Amino acid sequence: MDYKYDTDFWAGNAARKIWDDIVPGEPRKTIPYTLTKEAIYKLCHATGDMNPLYVDEDYAKTTKWGGIIAPPSIHVLLMFSCTPNDDWMRSPGTINAGQSWSYNIPARPGDVITLHARALDKFIKGDRLFAVHDNVFFNQNNEVICSGRGWTIRPM
Amino acid sequence: MENKFDITEGQRIEGTPFCPTRETIWEFCEASLDYNPLHWDDEYMKSNFGKTNFGGIIMHGMSNFSLITKMMTDWALPQGGIHRRLETRWKAPVKPGDTITPSGTVKKVKPTEKANWVVVTVQVKNQQDAVVAEGEAMVEFPH
Repeated sequence: MDYKYDTDFWAGNAARKIWDDIVPGEPRKTIPYTLTKEAIYKLCHATGDMNPLYVDEDYAKTTKWGGIIAPPSIHVLLMFSCTPNDDWMRSPGTINAGQSWSYNIPARPGDVITLHARALDKFIKGDRLFAVHDNVFFNQNNEVICSGRGWTIRPM
Repeated sequence: MENKFDITEGQRIEGTPFCPTRETIWEFCEASLDYNPLHWDDEYMKSNFGKTNFGGIIMHGMSNFSLITKMMTDWALPQGGIHRRLETRWKAPVKPGDTITPSGTVKKVKPTEKANWVVVTVQVKNQQDAVVAEGEAMVEFPH
């Protein structure tokens, strides 16, 4: 990342879109991100998924991939690393209600990853305000890594 | 990787239990860059979310998601399969001190022109046997 990632999600929160402002179909601002072995290792360690295919280069070289790949769930990190601080996904109190992801090819260390993202839909259920996030990650060769939707309950 | 395809409907898949703590949840914040105060701010978590009060910090839903993708990949890869899809809904919050365990059941085996596709019903339960996440996964076993 060549911008300062703000870990305080309250900072700049006033600039983020609230549910009323979200326009389904409107592209969100995104940022290219270069994936590293270190970032993959950190995520694998945090999720207890220490498959040697993700963390051991010597082992990974013996597999059909010929080197370390990222686990499918790498989009967890990519969602935040490919979006700017003012993205509304960071709004404190955003609650994840469900996710649906399709995996095409694995992400790899050194990949320069881009995100195409938008809100696909927004709706009200009971007292809650929902948004549907629509996301596709590409590598530097314009190949799809994965695509997915997330349903979040927006803070009020 | 050239194993014969012998997956049948009804087959069970058992995942690895995971015991989140404040420390593992914070580690997930740092690894995923998701610093939503839901996951670390005790003061903030005293407040209500609509009609819901979580009564303390909660684990990231995506930590659950990763636990299921691990189960699916650990199961599929040695048999020549590729984890292709996962859809989940979160049913209950997970808190520090819980023990959560994913499992799955093969719901459907669907041969297509190029592969055998396996649809797996997945769920994650806590130590009280309550379902905290449920959904469906798909694995491709190319011909």
